Amino acid sequence: MMTRMQAVLLAVVVALTPALAFGADLVAGQEKVKQVCAACHGQDGNSQSADYPKLGGQYPDYLAKALHDYKSGARKNPIMAGFAATLTDKDIENVAAYFASQPPVLVTR
Amino acid sequence: MIRSFAVSTLTLLLCATAYAQTPAAAPAAAPAATPAAPAGDPAKGRELTRMCEGCHGIVGWRTAYPEVYRVPKLGGQHAAYIVQALHAYRNGDRSHPSMQAIAGSLSDQDMANLAAYFSQAGGATNTASK
Repeated sequence: MMTRMQAVLLAVVVALTPALAFGADLVAGQEKVKQVCAACHGQDGNSQSADYPKLGGQYPDYLAKALHDYKSGARKNPIMAGFAATLTDKDIENVAAYFASQPPVLVTR
Repeated sequence: MIRSFAVSTLTLLLCATAYAQTPAAAPAAAPAATPAAPAGDPAKGRELTRMCEGCHGIVGWRTAYPEVYRVPKLGGQHAAYIVQALHAYRNGDRSHPSMQAIAGSLSDQDMANLAAYFSQAGGATNTASK
């Protein structure tokens, strides 16, 4: 018999579960990158154009924050606002994880 | 008579519009698209990194405020992009309290020097062609 407390706890856990990351989907991230990001940033995030940042090996939490900020308008960039608007939260998580998993063209300095 | 009046009025209006637009359009386009970029000196940039290394120079260092995420790696990044980012902090297109304060204290030459320094380092695949 479930006590009221247990029921409340269960409800809280169930409610929070979708917010917790189950782990990003790198394959889905790779596919999304191919469609949306690769033309400027390179498929592996090693952008060859000086105007577009390299992303390969960058921290995924920073990449996700940047995409959320473009989407919300907190970070203003007309080009990225358009692309970020097409991404769901899950897409952002996947894309960020995919670029982070690529050969580290960026290093801490 | 009426027609020639109309034509000359229209011409005057067009000239006035063109005149009004020219000075407004030029400064708006120039800094946004390609900020006049002074050449960067990596050695001089190195001298300025004391203000950067407390966050960017530590592997895995996290921001404390206002949101928590790992501070981005800069080594090997394109110099032009680093300059763009600093300009965006300075003009408010990007917001982060520390970065806005720091970018606001930098001259364009400082930014170019820092960008030259950070862009030098890079991973083994920095020059890969793909």
